[in-house]
Amino acid sequence: MPLEIKIQKDADPKKSGVVTITLVGSLDTATAPELDRQMMECLAGRVSDLVFDLAGLKFVSSAGLRLFTLARKQMVARGGKASLINMQPQVEEAFAIIQSLPGFNLFRDLAALDRYLAERQGSHTQNS
Amino acid sequence: MRAVEALEQFARAQGVPEKIIFGLMLALEECGSNIVNHGLRRDALRKFQVTIELTHDTFVIELRDRGPAFDPTKAAEREQPKEEDAPGGWGIQLVRRNIDEMQYTRVDGENILRLAKRVGGPDHSPSVS
Repeated sequence: MPLEIKIQKDADPKKSGVVTITLVGSLDTATAPELDRQMMECLAGRVSDLVFDLAGLKFVSSAGLRLFTLARKQMVARGGKASLINMQPQVEEAFAIIQSLPGFNLFRDLAALDRYLAERQGSHTQNS
Repeated sequence: MRAVEALEQFARAQGVPEKIIFGLMLALEECGSNIVNHGLRRDALRKFQVTIELTHDTFVIELRDRGPAFDPTKAAEREQPKEEDAPGGWGIQLVRRNIDEMQYTRVDGENILRLAKRVGGPDHSPSVS
């Protein structure tokens, strides 16, 4: 099964720096290198929050988990956050291994993520 | 991996529950990529053999390759998941979480890895044990 990768920068000025990577299909040994490439290209720019929308992710192996932890590491290094949203029950078992790692945010849906981002952006404004 | 897709189609046609199918696919993907990356050193011309079988209550995946002797069941005992970003061992951990039995033998220069998962009887209802 192939993997479709869509990378979107949030147009909402209140969410500047928020980049969403939507994954549809299978993230495995064969498809992980392309996501790795696109993700690194994306992280070369200004990104404060990296969000993975997993609503369409049907399969993930350790090659995929490695990329999520890599993203997390990069985001933590720049004071940002990596978030996972819309994870389907089918793939939860694979994620169980990395979910407990610190620095990952897990949100059930977009509404929950939006509430979190609004708070984060609010605290940025207060701090600046 | 073609074998993973074949497994998915076969298991689905046999009415195996989706959650178990996912675990079986994951186990095959991890063991298969391990063979390709390490045993066969990513040589596309070298092949390994996968057999899948469903008896009345057990799903069996058998992988055979002619790479150097490697017993992943020993590796599974040795490698512990790391707290930090070191995915070494995650693959084998994923296999362990989704499979009931792993058996390794080396016969006539061939690695034979047998993964078995109970699927709960002819109606494939989850086993209670």
